[in-house]
Amino acid sequence: MARRSFEVRRIPGFGAIAILTIVLLYVPILILVTFSFNAGRSQAEWEGFSLQWYRAAFANEQVQDVSIRSLWLAIAAAGIATVLATLAALGTTRVGRFRGQTLIYALVNQPLMVPEVVTGIALLIFVASIKVATGYMGMGYLVAAHTAFCIPFAYLPIRARLETLDLNLERAAADLYASPVQAFRHITLPLLVPGIAAGFMLGFVISLDTVVITEFVKSAGQDTLPTYMLGQLRRAVTPEMNAIASLFLALSLVVVTAFFLVSRRRGA
Amino acid sequence: MKDGSDGTATDAIEIVGLDKVYGQGAGAFRALTGIDLTIRSGEFFTLLGPSGCGKTTLLRVIAGFENPTEGSVRISGEEVAHLGPNKRQVNTVFQNYALFPHMTVAQNIGFGLRMLGRSRTEVAATTAEMLRLVRMEELAQRRPAELSGGQQQRVALARALAPHPRVLLLDEPLSALDLKLRKEMQGELKRLQAETGITFVFVTHDQEEALTMSDRIAVMSAGRILQRGTPHEIYHAPTERFVADFIGDTNFLTVPVVSVEAGAAQVELPGGRTAPARLPEGARPAPGAKVTVVIRPEQARLVPPGEGEMQGEVTSSVFFGTDTHVHARLTDGQDFVLRRQNAGELADPSPGDRIGLALGDGVLRVLKD
Ligand SMILES: Nc1ncnc2c1ncn2[C@@H]1O[C@H](COP(=O)(O)OP(=O)(O)OP(=O)(O)O)[C@@H](O)[C@H]1O
Ligand SMILES: [Mg+2]
Repeated sequence: MARRSFEVRRIPGFGAIAILTIVLLYVPILILVTFSFNAGRSQAEWEGFSLQWYRAAFANEQVQDVSIRSLWLAIAAAGIATVLATLAALGTTRVGRFRGQTLIYALVNQPLMVPEVVTGIALLIFVASIKVATGYMGMGYLVAAHTAFCIPFAYLPIRARLETLDLNLERAAADLYASPVQAFRHITLPLLVPGIAAGFMLGFVISLDTVVITEFVKSAGQDTLPTYMLGQLRRAVTPEMNAIASLFLALSLVVVTAFFLVSRRRGA
Repeated sequence: MKDGSDGTATDAIEIVGLDKVYGQGAGAFRALTGIDLTIRSGEFFTLLGPSGCGKTTLLRVIAGFENPTEGSVRISGEEVAHLGPNKRQVNTVFQNYALFPHMTVAQNIGFGLRMLGRSRTEVAATTAEMLRLVRMEELAQRRPAELSGGQQQRVALARALAPHPRVLLLDEPLSALDLKLRKEMQGELKRLQAETGITFVFVTHDQEEALTMSDRIAVMSAGRILQRGTPHEIYHAPTERFVADFIGDTNFLTVPVVSVEAGAAQVELPGGRTAPARLPEGARPAPGAKVTVVIRPEQARLVPPGEGEMQGEVTSSVFFGTDTHVHARLTDGQDFVLRRQNAGELADPSPGDRIGLALGDGVLRVLKD
């Protein structure tokens, strides 16, 4: 193998920084997971293995409630965001260059660039005025806010996938008598599936995870799992929270792994 | 589609006054200029030209992927300007094949017929027939990624042939193949064309491929068609310097005109002898004017000094086995390359040798300016 002229590993202190980063990233998580299996109430002293906190978490009706809300909110928001992001990606890659294309690109990706708190406060004011005007207090606000927030995360992998698709494939389909709709259904869409699935999963994880936006937009009784946990932690820290957080982590890991597997399946 | 009122219904493709400009304003680029082209039904027609001359653009206009900026395109007598690619009875073999990666070989081949709404049995029967035609029966269930370049090539061909188009457009279909496979596929293509009777419009930048395969050739350069004709006409009677230079090896000699008759001129060769040279259509140079004549290297013979139409001194000889290329400087200083067939074991002339050059009868051609 040819030696590369530049190797990051040869920078002084590379090893130390790498180890420090890994420690800071993963040791806290490891501790959290470990103490979710603690038999006692302590977060510092190991008193033996037990599943009691998991049992407590599962028995807790409030936890069940917010978990289900979080899940369906994430599915709804990621689902709608994926559809919109697919259309946006098609609109920004499959038509010739047009005026304002860059502006649209910036608009779609706005949530990536504007601080979440700003979006949160803006939504708070906006939603409050609609609530006053209409009297509607339902979950619609959260679904809409999460959807808007998820769109860029869904958009990026879909667009990336579209950009690697050979335009000649769509031309070949048209050449072989496929109407534009047929070409999309038989060629573009099936080849886009890995991107769409990746976009959905990213959106799902993002929605599941977002605290700030939810905190600002939710009405009473609309806690999601993360906002509920934050509320609980303010009162008392029990290993039950560790258990919930660990389960949450497991779910995220499953989704991220699926994302990885799907996005690796290229060209198939 | 079948009215043929203007009597051109037998022409597969008829292009008149075609211009294609990409982009607008300052970034506009004129890719095709004033293309007039008639391709007859059942013909093996080749578009030959260097990279970037507009071959793919012309195919894309015919297929319907690009709209002409100016001019008209007729397919089997029908004006197609308003028709999308899916409404034209023309299929394309793409330069990079563009096989659908998520479909099997058989599904790829059947795609066109399925889109046309043909019955399952017909799709299956035609697919089987096509698989046989391109000798891919065993690999019907493979995905394109599991095929070699030559096999992908065959699938692309079969896919484009399956709906039995009026015209098949082939964009440098052999350029990605190695030499041996390329030769094999050249024969295969000729066979397929003969068996199906479909009009082939074939794009290549390889002059030898064009000469060996085509019924007729159009030579393109910088968005224009410079000359069209049979391989013989293009090779033996090039009318433009570019065509003569692009196809085969050529000697260009600048010579004065002595006299002009109908269709031919007497020109004064280096060394003072005169010889007849055929004029391009419509050209009538004045006596005394300088013109460029072309002679192919194999159209001159090596003869003892003092004999033949021209005299020269050898500058170098290059032995190629079947023939030897003799580079000579003529008496007036112009360079000339002569190709001698090595029918027996002949000694190659050495630099400094004096030689005579004899020209065959009627081999000189005057180029358009
Ligand atoms: N979409 C486009 N926009 C602008 N210019 C283009 C476009 N497509 C092609 N061109 C230009 O038009 C000219 C002709 O291109 P074309 O692809 O037809 O050439 P070609 O003869 O097929 O070349 P090659 O042998 O390299 O495939 C080139 O100069 C190219 O840069
Ligand atoms: Mg090309």
